[in-house]
Amino acid sequence: MGATSETLLLGPADEAASEAVLGVLTTHGIVFDLPVETVTTLLDTVDGRLHRAGLRLVAEAAVAPRQHGRDGQHGQDGADRPHGVTLVLDGPSVVPARVQADRLPGLVGEVPTGPLRDRVERLVDVRALLPVVRYRSQRREGTAVAPEGGPSCRVVVHEQVTTGENAELGTTVEIHPVRGLERVAREVARLVAVEGRALHPGDTLDLVVAASGVEPAGRVWSPTVPLDPRSPALDGVRDVLANLADTIEGNWDDTVAHTDPEFLHDLRVAVRRTRAVVGQMRRVLPPALVEEGRAGFAHLGRLTGPARDLDVYLIEWSRYVDPLGPEAVAALAPVEVLLRARQAAAHADLDRALSDPAARSLLAHWQADLAGLAAADATVDAGPHAHRRLGRVVRQRIERAQRTLVTNGRRIDDHSPAEQVHDLRKDAKQLRYLLECFGSLLPDRPRDRFVKRLKAFQDNLGEHQDAEVHVAVIREIAEELHAAGAVADTLLALGQLMERLEQIRVAARREFAERFAAYDTPATERALADALESLRS
Amino acid sequence: VKVLATYSIKGGVGKTTAAVNLAHEAAAQGSRVLLWDLDPQGGATFLVRARPRMKGGAERLVGSTGELARHRRGTEEPGLDVVPADFSLRHLDLHLVDAKRPTRRIRRLLRDLGDVYDVVVIDCPPGITLASEAVFEAVDALVVPTIPSTLARRTLAQLRTFLLEVPDPPLVLSFASMADRRRSLHRAVIEELTSAEPGFLPTIVPNASVIERMGVERAPVRAFAPRSAAAAAYRDLWSEIDRRLRTVAG
Repeated sequence: MGATSETLLLGPADEAASEAVLGVLTTHGIVFDLPVETVTTLLDTVDGRLHRAGLRLVAEAAVAPRQHGRDGQHGQDGADRPHGVTLVLDGPSVVPARVQADRLPGLVGEVPTGPLRDRVERLVDVRALLPVVRYRSQRREGTAVAPEGGPSCRVVVHEQVTTGENAELGTTVEIHPVRGLERVAREVARLVAVEGRALHPGDTLDLVVAASGVEPAGRVWSPTVPLDPRSPALDGVRDVLANLADTIEGNWDDTVAHTDPEFLHDLRVAVRRTRAVVGQMRRVLPPALVEEGRAGFAHLGRLTGPARDLDVYLIEWSRYVDPLGPEAVAALAPVEVLLRARQAAAHADLDRALSDPAARSLLAHWQADLAGLAAADATVDAGPHAHRRLGRVVRQRIERAQRTLVTNGRRIDDHSPAEQVHDLRKDAKQLRYLLECFGSLLPDRPRDRFVKRLKAFQDNLGEHQDAEVHVAVIREIAEELHAAGAVADTLLALGQLMERLEQIRVAARREFAERFAAYDTPATERALADALESLRS
Repeated sequence: VKVLATYSIKGGVGKTTAAVNLAHEAAAQGSRVLLWDLDPQGGATFLVRARPRMKGGAERLVGSTGELARHRRGTEEPGLDVVPADFSLRHLDLHLVDAKRPTRRIRRLLRDLGDVYDVVVIDCPPGITLASEAVFEAVDALVVPTIPSTLARRTLAQLRTFLLEVPDPPLVLSFASMADRRRSLHRAVIEELTSAEPGFLPTIVPNASVIERMGVERAPVRAFAPRSAAAAAYRDLWSEIDRRLRTVAG
């Protein structure tokens, strides 16, 4: 709620004080509604995108009394029956917006259309809206009325506030000023501060968040960890790989549950980064671990590929098909249905594979093996560069990766096969992953300057690769639909779509030379040298 | 932010009730809304139960240090704020004459609140004045309630003629207000306006006692008669206006 809201918290044992406060407020003309059992939920993405933007998405659901059976217990299902949900988007110094929804939204597409959804969508994109904290209470709303009849202050009392873990917080009295009449709220605050009790800034939800210990900023999986350039390379590489393994583990369950496509994306990127670090640091790590990592994560990469490719295709679907016009979009509806069916099948395969104890044990073994690594341990059969200084090893690997990228890029001309461009994309990724995973060794600004140049080049390579993969998928689908006797309109629209994807691919290919030329410059070399300067000493 | 004004050269056509109902509809559908009452009669201010008082009056508001944000008041609807009117607005034109670039003054006042609200609804007084010219330069659309009568049709034509002189004129979205479908003249005028007026919206706001009751209830129709034809009409009207504005913006 707004930064100016304040809340009085009275513990479960303070029943007398709660009654005294309500009595005082009623005496001063604040009229309260009847209590309504309400479940209040704070929603955000796993990485706290709304919180980082200074916003809160709060779902308030009035809950119907539970159905009681003859034995006085809850009804057959014992479940709560929500009466619709009010979604409130607010934040400090933000005018609140609210809208009625049928149910708690899991994805932004389930929020009713309108400006509130537009604002949320811009921030959360495809990420799921997950409950951060939730509490149940008997909610009563009261209003102090100004002489003109409008509200001069809002007071919301939550009795029997219970959090998800059934911990009873007690009663809260929220005081919400009305814009332009803030002095009334200050007077009400004085009234409720019985026995010198202090009011807390914010509202009940803020108190519940604080009491639960949940971090509303969410969890962002950074690819890097604090590293010491003077430490032995083995210890630094171990810490990076352990962090990546934690990322894989942290995204595993939600990938299986298909909570949103970003979990699979984050898991997959962590797998790729792991493979890149294992490959780049093969002279640092014990040879047996290199083999374990290469085989295990290549397998994990293969498992996750088909589902992610289809996720990307469907995320990009509108961008691909909308320019073809509404008739073509309508004709392509069976294609989208088929893609979604394939996506569901690919995710079912992935779920089975990731739920297999063998896949879990692969990660658990890897984590255990990493935990047993230490440069100081003489029994570890480490690689020849294990005891070199981490900073030096990382610098050399980054310089080498850059040389490989530039050398291979210069070999590509207008007639080079697509595979060569694809291989160059992998080279660029190797460099990017090194910069990201060992990023804490490099000063932020010079590193970001270099990464910006690299990213501009990678975008072109990515566009080319995606279009190529998607043309192949569409060709396959076209054959399948043709064999199944699809209508002519759909086949014609498929032809249009293939042509459009081919245009995107050709345009990206045509642009390659220009983008590479912009990357392969002394300025890029200088930017890299600046980024690595601190690792030279 | 989308800025619209309920406006008509003619008085008593349902501007204020439209402004209040549209502002509430927008807020109910998830917009952060500012209702700005520019009419010295303060009808919208009264209907949202705000105090008809502007600190420093119209002179301070349109003066060189005037800020709209300082005049905002909360309402019963948490996503809806109001800038109330008071009687000092009867001299608004005189104060605007003293201001630098008077016809841009309202646009400038709104500029500072651009990111705070999604929708601003200005309830204008009737007539063509310097203040209304300033409104024309500030808004994306003029929402013009039109009683289905020959005179009202004539004033709509006058407005269109006047707007030809306004640089970058706003969209004109008119609709049938206070309409009585039992009357053949009303039906005939609505039919004519529908075919002849480019921005004439299909929604018809009826001449209903429930709208008159707003003055007693001091609330939008949706608050005390949500199932009434009038509430449905304002809901449809907002959807239509919102769609038109999105189309223009998109």
